[in-house]
Amino acid sequence: MPPRRTLLDDDEDFPMAGALTRAAAAAPDPITLDFGAPPETLFQQLVRHWLNERHAPDILPVQAEVLGALLDHIRRQTDTVQALRGDPDSSEAEHVRIMLVQTEVERVKFVVRSYIRTRLYKIEKFARYVVATPEVQEKLSQTELDHAKRFSQLTENHFRVSVLQALPPHQQGLDDNTPFTPPMASEPDKSHAVIVHAREECPPVRLPDGTTMQMQKGQIVLTPYAVVEQLLAVGNVELI
Amino acid sequence: MASSDSRQYGDLATQLVQESRRSTLTDTLLKYNDTLVRTIIREQRNLEDLINSAIAAQADSAALTTTDAPALLLYQTAILRNKRCLLAYHAHRLDRLKDMYWALGGALPALLADNELRSRMSPHEVDFLREYNTSIMDFRGDFSAELDIAASITHPPRDLHALVRVVRDCGVIETELGTIDFRKGQRFMVRRADIEHLIVQGYLEEV
Repeated sequence: MPPRRTLLDDDEDFPMAGALTRAAAAAPDPITLDFGAPPETLFQQLVRHWLNERHAPDILPVQAEVLGALLDHIRRQTDTVQALRGDPDSSEAEHVRIMLVQTEVERVKFVVRSYIRTRLYKIEKFARYVVATPEVQEKLSQTELDHAKRFSQLTENHFRVSVLQALPPHQQGLDDNTPFTPPMASEPDKSHAVIVHAREECPPVRLPDGTTMQMQKGQIVLTPYAVVEQLLAVGNVELI
Repeated sequence: MASSDSRQYGDLATQLVQESRRSTLTDTLLKYNDTLVRTIIREQRNLEDLINSAIAAQADSAALTTTDAPALLLYQTAILRNKRCLLAYHAHRLDRLKDMYWALGGALPALLADNELRSRMSPHEVDFLREYNTSIMDFRGDFSAELDIAASITHPPRDLHALVRVVRDCGVIETELGTIDFRKGQRFMVRRADIEHLIVQGYLEEV
Protein backbone atom coordinates (compact mmCIF):
# COMPACT_ATOMS: atom_id res chain seq x y z
CA MET A 1 0.00 0.00 0.00
CA PRO A 2 2.61 2.65 0.83
CA PRO A 3 4.11 2.87 -2.70
CA ARG A 4 0.61 3.21 -4.10
CA ARG A 5 -0.14 6.14 -1.78
CA THR A 6 2.95 7.97 -2.91
CA LEU A 7 1.81 7.61 -6.48
CA LEU A 8 -1.62 8.92 -5.59
CA ASP A 9 -0.12 11.87 -3.79
CA ASP A 10 1.71 12.99 -6.88
CA ASP A 11 -1.19 12.54 -9.25
CA GLU A 12 -3.17 15.74 -9.09
CA ASP A 13 -5.51 14.87 -11.97
CA PHE A 14 -6.73 11.64 -10.49
CA PRO A 15 -10.48 11.28 -10.99
CA MET A 16 -12.38 12.30 -7.88
CA ALA A 17 -14.61 9.21 -7.66
CA GLY A 18 -11.64 6.86 -7.84
CA ALA A 19 -9.78 8.88 -5.27
CA LEU A 20 -12.73 8.73 -2.95
CA THR A 21 -13.02 4.95 -2.97
CA ARG A 22 -9.30 4.43 -2.75
CA ALA A 23 -8.83 6.86 0.05
CA ALA A 24 -11.80 5.39 1.86
CA ALA A 25 -10.32 1.94 1.46
CA ALA A 26 -6.94 3.07 2.72
CA ALA A 27 -8.28 4.74 5.85
CA PRO A 28 -11.78 5.56 7.02
CA ASP A 29 -10.59 8.88 8.41
CA PRO A 30 -12.04 11.59 6.12
CA ILE A 31 -8.89 13.67 6.50
CA THR A 32 -7.14 11.40 3.98
CA LEU A 33 -9.40 12.96 1.36
CA ASP A 34 -7.19 16.02 1.56
CA PHE A 35 -4.10 14.26 0.31
CA GLY A 36 -4.17 16.30 -2.87
CA ALA A 37 -3.83 19.64 -1.09
CA PRO A 38 -0.21 20.71 -0.76
CA PRO A 39 0.90 21.72 2.75
CA GLU A 40 0.88 25.41 3.51
CA THR A 41 4.15 27.12 2.73
CA LEU A 42 5.76 29.34 5.33
CA PHE A 43 4.62 32.39 3.47
CA GLN A 44 1.03 31.16 3.23
CA GLN A 45 1.10 30.54 6.96
CA LEU A 46 2.32 34.05 7.60
CA VAL A 47 -0.34 35.51 5.29
CA ARG A 48 -2.99 33.62 7.25
CA HIS A 49 -1.63 34.85 10.59
CA TRP A 50 -1.28 38.34 9.16
CA LEU A 51 -4.96 38.44 8.14
CA ASN A 52 -5.98 36.96 11.48
CA GLU A 53 -3.96 39.61 13.28
CA ARG A 54 -5.43 42.39 11.19
CA HIS A 55 -9.00 41.27 11.80
CA ALA A 56 -8.84 40.20 15.43
CA PRO A 57 -9.65 42.84 18.05
CA ASP A 58 -7.25 41.16 20.49
CA ILE A 59 -3.49 40.66 20.28
CA LEU A 60 -2.85 37.12 18.97
CA PRO A 61 0.12 34.96 20.01
CA VAL A 62 3.24 36.00 18.15
CA GLN A 63 4.21 33.58 15.35
CA ALA A 64 7.86 33.63 16.28
CA GLU A 65 8.80 30.42 14.44
CA VAL A 66 7.15 31.30 11.14
CA LEU A 67 8.49 34.83 11.34
CA GLY A 68 12.00 33.73 12.26
CA ALA A 69 12.16 31.15 9.48
CA LEU A 70 10.90 33.67 6.94
CA LEU A 71 13.32 36.36 8.07
CA ASP A 72 16.18 33.85 7.71
CA HIS A 73 14.91 33.02 4.27
CA ILE A 74 14.70 36.67 3.29
CA ARG A 75 18.26 37.20 4.44
CA ARG A 76 19.56 34.21 2.48
CA GLN A 77 17.70 35.24 -0.66
CA THR A 78 18.90 38.82 -0.35
CA ASP A 79 22.50 37.64 0.07
CA THR A 80 22.23 35.37 -2.96
CA VAL A 81 20.70 38.14 -5.04
CA GLN A 82 23.39 40.52 -3.87
CA ALA A 83 26.13 38.09 -4.89
CA LEU A 84 24.60 37.39 -8.30
CA ARG A 85 23.95 41.03 -9.01
CA GLY A 86 27.49 41.98 -8.15
CA ASP A 87 28.80 39.46 -10.68
CA PRO A 88 29.57 41.31 -13.93
CA ASP A 89 29.16 38.07 -15.93
CA SER A 90 25.47 37.71 -15.09
CA SER A 91 23.49 37.41 -18.29
CA GLU A 92 20.30 39.22 -19.20
CA ALA A 93 18.28 36.08 -18.43
CA GLU A 94 19.84 35.90 -15.00
CA HIS A 95 18.96 39.52 -14.39
CA VAL A 96 15.35 38.69 -15.15
CA ARG A 97 15.43 35.84 -12.68
CA ILE A 98 17.06 38.06 -10.06
CA MET A 99 14.31 40.58 -10.63
CA LEU A 100 11.62 37.98 -10.06
CA VAL A 101 13.22 36.77 -6.86
CA GLN A 102 13.63 40.30 -5.59
CA THR A 103 10.07 41.25 -6.36
CA GLU A 104 8.96 38.20 -4.44
CA VAL A 105 11.26 39.08 -1.55
CA GLU A 106 9.76 42.57 -1.51
CA ARG A 107 6.27 41.11 -1.42
CA VAL A 108 7.19 38.88 1.50
CA LYS A 109 8.83 41.81 3.26
CA PHE A 110 5.68 43.84 2.82
CA VAL A 111 3.60 41.21 4.58
CA VAL A 112 6.18 40.75 7.34
CA ARG A 113 6.31 44.51 7.84
CA SER A 114 2.57 44.85 7.89
CA TYR A 115 2.27 41.94 10.32
CA ILE A 116 4.80 43.46 12.70
CA ARG A 117 3.27 46.92 12.44
CA THR A 118 -0.26 45.63 13.00
CA ARG A 119 0.90 44.01 16.20
CA LEU A 120 2.82 47.11 17.18
CA TYR A 121 -0.29 49.23 16.69
CA LYS A 122 -2.37 47.00 18.96
CA ILE A 123 0.40 46.68 21.52
CA GLU A 124 0.69 50.46 21.80
CA LYS A 125 -3.06 50.86 21.91
CA PHE A 126 -3.37 48.38 24.77
CA ALA A 127 0.03 49.09 26.34
CA ARG A 128 -1.26 49.67 29.87
CA TYR A 129 -3.43 46.57 29.68
CA VAL A 130 -0.47 44.51 28.40
CA VAL A 131 1.79 45.68 31.19
CA ALA A 132 -0.86 44.86 33.81
CA THR A 133 -1.81 41.43 32.42
CA PRO A 134 0.77 38.60 32.54
CA GLU A 135 -1.36 36.26 30.33
CA VAL A 136 -1.23 38.75 27.48
CA GLN A 137 2.51 39.19 27.89
CA GLU A 138 3.00 35.54 26.96
CA LYS A 139 1.63 36.29 23.50
CA LEU A 140 4.33 38.87 22.86
CA SER A 141 7.91 38.50 21.76
CA GLN A 142 10.55 39.93 24.09
CA THR A 143 11.12 42.87 21.76
CA GLU A 144 7.42 43.63 21.70
CA LEU A 145 7.10 43.34 25.45
CA ASP A 146 10.04 45.67 25.98
CA HIS A 147 8.45 48.21 23.71
CA ALA A 148 5.06 47.86 25.41
CA LYS A 149 6.64 48.58 28.78
CA ARG A 150 8.58 51.55 27.48
CA PHE A 151 5.59 52.92 25.63
CA SER A 152 3.28 52.58 28.61
CA GLN A 153 5.83 54.39 30.77
CA LEU A 154 6.26 57.05 28.14
CA THR A 155 2.58 57.89 27.79
CA GLU A 156 2.15 57.85 31.55
CA ASN A 157 5.00 60.33 31.92
CA HIS A 158 3.52 62.51 29.23
CA PHE A 159 0.11 62.60 30.94
CA ARG A 160 1.78 63.28 34.24
CA VAL A 161 3.85 66.24 33.14
CA SER A 162 1.17 67.68 30.84
CA VAL A 163 -1.91 67.28 33.03
CA LEU A 164 -1.86 65.19 36.15
CA GLN A 165 0.84 66.89 38.18
CA ALA A 166 -1.03 70.19 37.96
CA LEU A 167 -4.21 68.65 39.38
CA PRO A 168 -5.01 68.37 43.08
CA PRO A 169 -3.48 65.20 44.63
CA HIS A 170 -6.84 63.40 44.69
CA GLN A 171 -7.18 63.64 40.96
CA GLN A 172 -3.74 62.45 39.90
CA GLY A 173 -4.46 58.75 39.40
CA LEU A 174 -4.52 57.13 35.98
CA ASP A 175 -6.73 54.23 36.98
CA ASP A 176 -9.96 55.84 38.15
CA ASN A 177 -12.51 53.12 38.39
CA THR A 178 -15.88 54.80 38.37
CA PRO A 179 -19.23 53.17 37.65
CA PHE A 180 -20.88 53.85 34.28
CA THR A 181 -17.65 54.91 32.60
CA PRO A 182 -15.31 52.72 30.58
CA PRO A 183 -11.97 51.82 32.20
CA MET A 184 -9.11 54.26 31.60
CA ALA A 185 -6.76 51.66 30.17
CA SER A 186 -8.14 50.42 26.83
CA GLU A 187 -8.72 46.70 26.60
CA PRO A 188 -9.45 44.59 23.54
CA ASP A 189 -13.17 44.37 22.81
CA LYS A 190 -13.76 40.66 22.40
CA SER A 191 -17.40 41.12 21.42
CA HIS A 192 -16.20 42.74 18.21
CA ALA A 193 -17.76 41.09 15.14
CA VAL A 194 -15.47 39.06 12.90
CA ILE A 195 -16.02 37.07 9.71
CA VAL A 196 -14.75 33.56 10.15
CA HIS A 197 -13.86 30.94 7.56
CA ALA A 198 -13.66 27.35 8.77
CA ARG A 199 -10.48 25.70 7.49
CA GLU A 200 -11.69 22.30 8.65
CA GLU A 201 -14.62 20.80 10.47
CA CYS A 202 -14.73 22.49 13.86
CA PRO A 203 -15.75 21.27 17.28
CA PRO A 204 -18.98 22.91 18.45
CA VAL A 205 -18.75 26.32 20.10
CA ARG A 206 -21.18 28.03 22.43
CA LEU A 207 -22.85 31.21 21.23
CA PRO A 208 -23.64 34.11 23.59
CA ASP A 209 -27.34 33.14 23.66
CA GLY A 210 -26.49 29.65 24.96
CA THR A 211 -27.02 27.70 21.74
CA THR A 212 -24.17 25.88 20.07
CA MET A 213 -22.79 26.23 16.58
CA GLN A 214 -20.77 23.73 14.64
CA MET A 215 -19.00 24.90 11.53
CA GLN A 216 -18.40 22.65 8.54
CA LYS A 217 -15.26 22.95 6.48
CA GLY A 218 -15.43 25.96 4.19
CA GLN A 219 -18.33 27.56 6.02
CA ILE A 220 -18.24 31.32 6.53
CA VAL A 221 -19.98 32.96 9.48
CA LEU A 222 -20.23 36.35 11.15
CA THR A 223 -19.84 36.08 14.91
CA PRO A 224 -18.46 37.86 17.97
CA TYR A 225 -14.72 37.35 18.30
CA ALA A 226 -15.03 35.71 21.73
CA VAL A 227 -17.00 32.79 20.22
CA VAL A 228 -14.21 31.68 17.91
CA GLU A 229 -11.23 32.75 20.01
CA GLN A 230 -10.33 29.15 20.91
CA LEU A 231 -10.87 27.81 17.39
CA LEU A 232 -8.62 30.53 16.04
CA ALA A 233 -5.91 29.71 18.55
CA VAL A 234 -5.95 26.05 17.46
CA GLY A 235 -6.06 26.97 13.79
CA ASN A 236 -9.46 25.44 12.95
CA VAL A 237 -10.62 28.74 11.53
CA GLU A 238 -9.19 31.86 9.96
CA LEU A 239 -10.49 35.43 9.92
CA ILE A 240 -11.29 37.00 6.58
CA MET B 1 -26.32 76.21 41.46
CA ALA B 2 -25.70 79.73 42.65
CA SER B 3 -23.29 80.56 39.88
CA SER B 4 -24.23 83.68 37.94
CA ASP B 5 -21.81 82.62 35.23
CA SER B 6 -23.69 81.36 32.19
CA ARG B 7 -20.93 78.83 31.64
CA GLN B 8 -21.46 75.37 33.09
CA TYR B 9 -18.83 73.05 34.49
CA GLY B 10 -17.48 70.97 31.67
CA ASP B 11 -18.11 73.45 28.87
CA LEU B 12 -14.43 74.17 28.46
CA ALA B 13 -13.60 70.48 28.42
CA THR B 14 -16.16 70.03 25.66
CA GLN B 15 -14.35 72.72 23.67
CA LEU B 16 -11.11 70.83 24.13
CA VAL B 17 -12.59 67.56 22.90
CA GLN B 18 -14.15 69.36 19.96
CA GLU B 19 -10.68 70.49 19.00
CA SER B 20 -9.56 66.87 18.90
CA ARG B 21 -12.56 66.07 16.77
CA ARG B 22 -11.82 68.90 14.35
CA SER B 23 -8.24 67.74 14.20
CA THR B 24 -9.39 64.28 13.13
CA LEU B 25 -11.89 65.61 10.61
CA THR B 26 -9.42 67.94 8.94
CA ASP B 27 -6.53 65.52 9.36
CA THR B 28 -4.24 68.17 10.80
CA LEU B 29 -2.46 68.67 14.06
CA LEU B 30 -3.89 71.82 15.61
CA LYS B 31 -1.76 74.04 17.79
CA TYR B 32 -1.48 72.78 21.35
CA ASN B 33 -4.08 74.75 23.28
CA ASP B 34 -2.07 75.57 26.36
CA THR B 35 -4.44 78.33 27.55
CA LEU B 36 -7.51 76.13 27.48
CA VAL B 37 -5.71 73.24 29.18
CA ARG B 38 -4.57 75.58 31.97
CA THR B 39 -8.04 77.05 32.39
CA ILE B 40 -9.55 73.59 32.76
CA ILE B 41 -6.90 72.63 35.28
CA ARG B 42 -7.87 75.78 37.25
CA GLU B 43 -11.50 74.70 37.08
CA GLN B 44 -10.44 71.35 38.50
CA ARG B 45 -8.75 73.01 41.48
CA ASN B 46 -11.77 75.20 41.95
CA LEU B 47 -14.08 72.18 41.96
CA GLU B 48 -11.82 70.43 44.43
CA ASP B 49 -12.08 73.43 46.76
CA LEU B 50 -15.87 73.40 46.45
CA ILE B 51 -15.94 69.73 47.37
CA ASN B 52 -13.67 70.30 50.35
CA SER B 53 -15.76 73.15 51.69
CA ALA B 54 -18.97 71.16 51.15
CA ILE B 55 -17.50 68.27 53.11
CA ALA B 56 -16.35 70.65 55.85
CA ALA B 57 -19.81 72.21 56.06
CA GLN B 58 -21.33 68.78 56.29
CA ALA B 59 -18.97 67.75 59.08
CA ASP B 60 -20.13 70.79 61.03
CA SER B 61 -23.80 69.99 60.73
CA ALA B 62 -23.05 66.36 61.68
CA ALA B 63 -25.94 64.99 59.62
CA LEU B 64 -26.06 64.65 55.88
CA THR B 65 -28.25 67.41 54.58
CA THR B 66 -30.35 66.82 51.53
CA THR B 67 -28.83 69.77 49.71
CA ASP B 68 -25.19 68.78 50.10
CA ALA B 69 -25.25 65.28 48.69
CA PRO B 70 -26.41 66.22 45.16
CA ALA B 71 -23.92 69.09 45.09
CA LEU B 72 -21.06 66.75 45.95
CA LEU B 73 -22.11 64.33 43.26
CA LEU B 74 -22.28 67.15 40.74
CA TYR B 75 -18.80 68.41 41.56
CA GLN B 76 -17.37 64.92 41.50
CA THR B 77 -18.93 64.15 38.13
CA ALA B 78 -17.60 67.39 36.68
CA ILE B 79 -14.11 66.62 37.98
CA LEU B 80 -14.07 63.15 36.48
CA ARG B 81 -15.42 64.33 33.17
CA ASN B 82 -12.94 67.20 32.90
CA LYS B 83 -10.07 64.89 33.69
CA ARG B 84 -11.21 62.42 31.06
CA CYS B 85 -11.43 65.16 28.47
CA LEU B 86 -7.99 66.49 29.35
CA LEU B 87 -6.43 63.06 29.03
CA ALA B 88 -8.37 62.25 25.86
CA TYR B 89 -7.14 65.47 24.28
CA HIS B 90 -3.53 64.65 25.08
CA ALA B 91 -3.87 61.00 24.06
CA HIS B 92 -5.44 62.01 20.78
CA ARG B 93 -2.55 64.34 20.04
CA LEU B 94 -0.03 61.61 20.82
CA ASP B 95 -1.80 59.35 18.31
CA ARG B 96 -1.60 62.06 15.67
CA LEU B 97 2.08 62.64 16.38
CA LYS B 98 2.75 58.92 16.07
CA ASP B 99 0.85 58.80 12.77
CA MET B 100 2.98 61.60 11.39
CA TYR B 101 6.12 59.91 12.66
CA TRP B 102 5.26 56.66 10.86
CA ALA B 103 4.12 58.44 7.71
CA LEU B 104 7.67 59.74 7.38
CA GLY B 105 9.07 56.25 7.83
CA GLY B 106 10.31 57.04 11.32
CA ALA B 107 12.44 59.96 10.20
CA LEU B 108 12.24 62.04 13.38
CA PRO B 109 14.76 64.75 12.38
CA ALA B 110 12.71 65.44 9.24
CA LEU B 111 9.56 65.71 11.35
CA LEU B 112 11.13 68.09 13.86
CA ALA B 113 12.85 70.12 11.16
CA ASP B 114 9.43 71.37 10.05
CA ASN B 115 9.33 74.58 12.10
CA GLU B 116 5.70 75.30 11.34
CA LEU B 117 4.68 71.86 12.57
CA ARG B 118 6.94 72.05 15.56
CA SER B 119 5.41 75.33 16.69
CA ARG B 120 2.12 73.47 17.05
CA MET B 121 3.57 70.94 19.48
CA SER B 122 4.02 71.44 23.19
CA PRO B 123 7.57 70.99 24.53
CA HIS B 124 6.42 67.83 26.30
CA GLU B 125 5.19 66.44 23.01
CA VAL B 126 8.58 66.98 21.42
CA ASP B 127 10.14 65.12 24.34
CA PHE B 128 7.61 62.34 23.88
CA LEU B 129 8.47 61.98 20.20
CA ARG B 130 12.18 61.84 20.97
CA GLU B 131 11.74 59.09 23.53
CA TYR B 132 9.25 57.26 21.36
CA ASN B 133 11.77 57.35 18.54
CA THR B 134 14.41 55.85 20.83
CA SER B 135 12.10 52.99 21.73
CA ILE B 136 11.15 52.36 18.11
CA MET B 137 14.81 52.42 17.05
CA ASP B 138 15.43 49.65 19.56
CA PHE B 139 12.51 47.72 18.12
CA ARG B 140 13.66 48.29 14.54
CA GLY B 141 17.14 47.14 15.45
CA ASP B 142 15.82 43.64 15.99
CA PHE B 143 14.86 43.34 12.33
CA SER B 144 17.50 45.53 10.75
CA ALA B 145 19.38 42.60 9.21
CA GLU B 146 16.38 41.71 7.05
CA LEU B 147 14.10 44.66 6.57
CA ASP B 148 13.16 48.12 7.72
CA ILE B 149 9.86 47.81 9.56
CA ALA B 150 9.33 51.56 9.30
CA ALA B 151 9.02 51.49 5.50
CA SER B 152 5.62 52.05 3.96
CA ILE B 153 2.81 49.56 4.54
CA THR B 154 0.09 51.45 2.70
CA HIS B 155 0.57 49.94 -0.76
CA PRO B 156 1.76 46.45 -1.48
CA PRO B 157 4.71 46.45 -3.86
CA ARG B 158 3.61 46.25 -7.46
CA ASP B 159 5.61 48.65 -9.58
CA LEU B 160 7.88 49.47 -6.71
CA HIS B 161 11.00 48.45 -8.54
CA ALA B 162 12.73 49.72 -11.56
CA LEU B 163 15.62 47.98 -13.23
CA VAL B 164 18.02 50.74 -14.07
CA ARG B 165 21.32 51.08 -15.89
CA VAL B 166 23.76 53.71 -14.73
CA VAL B 167 24.52 56.15 -17.54
CA ARG B 168 26.64 58.56 -15.55
CA ASP B 169 28.47 58.02 -12.28
CA CYS B 170 26.43 59.56 -9.49
CA GLY B 171 28.15 58.38 -6.33
CA VAL B 172 26.76 56.73 -3.23
CA ILE B 173 23.00 56.82 -2.81
CA GLU B 174 20.93 55.64 0.15
CA THR B 175 18.36 53.04 -0.84
CA GLU B 176 16.25 50.54 1.04
CA LEU B 177 18.86 47.90 0.26
CA GLY B 178 21.57 49.97 1.87
CA THR B 179 24.00 52.37 0.26
CA ILE B 180 24.71 51.75 -3.39
CA ASP B 181 27.62 53.26 -5.26
CA PHE B 182 26.19 53.90 -8.73
CA ARG B 183 28.97 53.46 -11.30
CA LYS B 184 28.61 53.69 -15.04
CA GLY B 185 27.58 50.46 -16.77
CA GLN B 186 26.22 48.70 -13.68
CA ARG B 187 22.65 47.53 -13.35
CA PHE B 188 20.53 47.75 -10.26
CA MET B 189 17.16 46.62 -9.13
CA VAL B 190 16.14 49.49 -6.91
CA ARG B 191 13.08 51.03 -5.41
CA ARG B 192 11.64 53.47 -7.89
CA ALA B 193 10.98 55.98 -5.09
CA ASP B 194 14.65 55.92 -4.09
CA ILE B 195 16.01 56.80 -7.48
CA GLU B 196 13.18 58.55 -9.31
CA HIS B 197 15.05 61.86 -9.12
CA LEU B 198 18.18 60.27 -10.59
CA ILE B 199 16.28 59.09 -13.66
CA VAL B 200 14.88 62.59 -14.10
CA GLN B 201 18.37 64.07 -13.87
CA GLY B 202 19.66 61.62 -16.43
CA TYR B 203 22.05 59.64 -14.24
CA LEU B 204 20.07 56.44 -14.59
CA GLU B 205 18.14 54.89 -17.39
CA GLU B 206 15.39 52.31 -17.07
CA VAL B 207 16.17 49.02 -18.76
